[in-house]
Amino acid sequence: MKPGVIISILAIVLGGLLLIGAGRKEETAGPPDYIEWRIPAGWPKPANDIFARNKLSEQGFQLGRKLFYDGRLSKDGNFPCASCHQQFGAFSSYDHDLSHGYNNTFTTRNAPPLFNLAWMPRLHWDGGVNHIEVQPLSPITAPNEMGENLDSVLLKLRRDTSYLRMFRAAFGTPEINSQRMLKALAQFTGSIVSANSKYDKVMRGEATFTYSEQNGYTFFKANCASCHPEPLFTDYSFRNIGLPVNEFLNDYGRMRITGDKKDSLKFKVPSLRNVALTFPYMHDGRFQSLNAVLDHYNSGIITTQPTLDTLLHKRIPIAGRQKNDLIYFLHTLSDTSMTKNPRFSGELKNFIH
Amino acid sequence: MRCRAYILLLLLTAAGSFANGQSAEPGLVKISFVNTVTGKPILLDSTVFTNPFSETYTITRFKYYISNLALTFPEGVFKELDSYHLVDQSNAQSLSFGFTALAGTYDGLVFLLGVDSLRNVSGAQSGALDPLNDMFWTWNTGYIMAKMEGRSPQSKLVNRKVEYHIGGFAGVNSVLKNIKLTFPVPVNVSAGKTTEIIIETDFAAWWQQPNELKISEHPVCSSPGELAKKIADNYSKMFRVRQIINP
Ligand code: HEC
Ligand code: HEC
Repeated sequence: MKPGVIISILAIVLGGLLLIGAGRKEETAGPPDYIEWRIPAGWPKPANDIFARNKLSEQGFQLGRKLFYDGRLSKDGNFPCASCHQQFGAFSSYDHDLSHGYNNTFTTRNAPPLFNLAWMPRLHWDGGVNHIEVQPLSPITAPNEMGENLDSVLLKLRRDTSYLRMFRAAFGTPEINSQRMLKALAQFTGSIVSANSKYDKVMRGEATFTYSEQNGYTFFKANCASCHPEPLFTDYSFRNIGLPVNEFLNDYGRMRITGDKKDSLKFKVPSLRNVALTFPYMHDGRFQSLNAVLDHYNSGIITTQPTLDTLLHKRIPIAGRQKNDLIYFLHTLSDTSMTKNPRFSGELKNFIH
Repeated sequence: MRCRAYILLLLLTAAGSFANGQSAEPGLVKISFVNTVTGKPILLDSTVFTNPFSETYTITRFKYYISNLALTFPEGVFKELDSYHLVDQSNAQSLSFGFTALAGTYDGLVFLLGVDSLRNVSGAQSGALDPLNDMFWTWNTGYIMAKMEGRSPQSKLVNRKVEYHIGGFAGVNSVLKNIKLTFPVPVNVSAGKTTEIIIETDFAAWWQQPNELKISEHPVCSSPGELAKKIADNYSKMFRVRQIINP
């Protein structure tokens, strides 16, 4: 090739680059600050990598956080995600069996806490939702939750210049669309990890259990861990633990999704991390205390239900003393470094605009 | 982007090496859908149709997904890239779409009626698959593959509604249908020119063959399962090639 040709090619390429650069100044932002997402030591790798096609960045996370706390995602402005998922209750609805939704309604299930979602293969009590990114579509559009529709949420967000700025910082251009909104929300909720309870400190050799807690732990490993295994304290399977059907809700759990009778009355095994903070308990919030939960395992299980889990056919006898110890142990699973972490809070001073 | 260009190149070479007489210059293929009930055009909310059981109905919404489309020739296929289309009777623009294809002679068309299972499990999507399009179940994740809403005096639902939301992508509940259409005359794609393929659908297929479904008995289908599968078996036969316009 003649040098002249090479030079003119170079000139064209350089000119092109300059043009791209000029365009970028107006519309596009540089790449966001990507964050490395760490799996706590000794934990299993999540089954599906939720950040593989939704690369976690500081800007994406902050945008997700703003959205999570923003009432505009709901019809009347009163029901942001955070109205039902409160940080001090490990992002569950604190002290509510069912949560309040738009226009004086109630949800039909207990709002679960939100943490370690990256490990959860299927979301919701019945596993009806198969990906963290599409989960928010359910509360946003449900008439008894946020009561909104997607079009109108996006219109509201587009009117706010701080959102235009934040979408640009997170995704390169100020375009606000459903995919970006959902990915940002997933960056926030998916980042909430709870791995620093007293239990975790004991496992890391930084703390020790009391005598009672140790007894409770021993009992737990023998009687509960087959469904609530460490370190996540759930295996995310769907099981029936012999609760009587609530005649108002008539909720048959997983069967609604699979249409299979074998799944009747099966619900997702919940994690027991932060369980002292997430009362009331079970898919419909029927039990007010851990005491009541343990009474159920000890004597309340309806053993005639055909789909009752085989591990529970003989119930789980728990003597009075063991019950106290077990509850002491369950309290060691509370992780205030998560529930009080300002990074996950909705306080304005923690927002970067 | 680079990855996509690479795939395109691979497909082009694959097609090129199979098909005889096909030059490397691409042409444009336009696919158009004409939705009818037994050949009569569908005017939403207005035309009154009669099904094989003498039940009358109007159609208020009619939408379906076409994905993974490919042109066939005796030795192989030419695949449209990133092939996801929502055909929506209420949106004239959605009734046709185009793509560039390798020049040559093609004998048929294959596509998936619905959205492949991978895209049903991969989180938030955009474009034709944006949940804004109202073809997505939020309580039981997955796309509604085809949707008809209407009214009929024979419906026992409130406001005489008829509502068929057909979905389900996994295992026994899958309603995904591979559709294969043979062209009545060979389709010629030539460099720099447009070839149009006009496909006609007949909504009447939804009511019978193999499954007879009366509005009075089944005014609604809104979840994956047996009824959805029966309707999908019927509607998989609603397509035919109406016309080929070679350049
Ligand atoms: C009106 C109360 C309410 C609002 C508002 C709400 N949720 Fe929920 N959330 C619930 C309930 C109830 C469930 C359980 C649903 C089920 O199992 O059917 C739930 C479940 C979830 C889950 C699944 C957790 C699990 O363990 O399976 C996630 C994630 C979640 N919500 C995130 C959000 C996000 C993000 C928003 C805002 C876009 C939001 N929620 C808004 C009540 C609410
Ligand atoms: C056969 C599996 C299985 C065994 C064994 C089991 N659980 Fe559970 N656990 C579940 C399931 C499933 C649920 C949710 C049930 C529902 O809501 O319908 C649950 C719920 C709970 C809850 C309520 C949590 C919440 O956030 O609502 C607590 C607390 C609990 N289990 C503690 C225990 C303890 C302590 C033991 C041992 C004594 C134990 N479980 C044994 C499967 C099991």
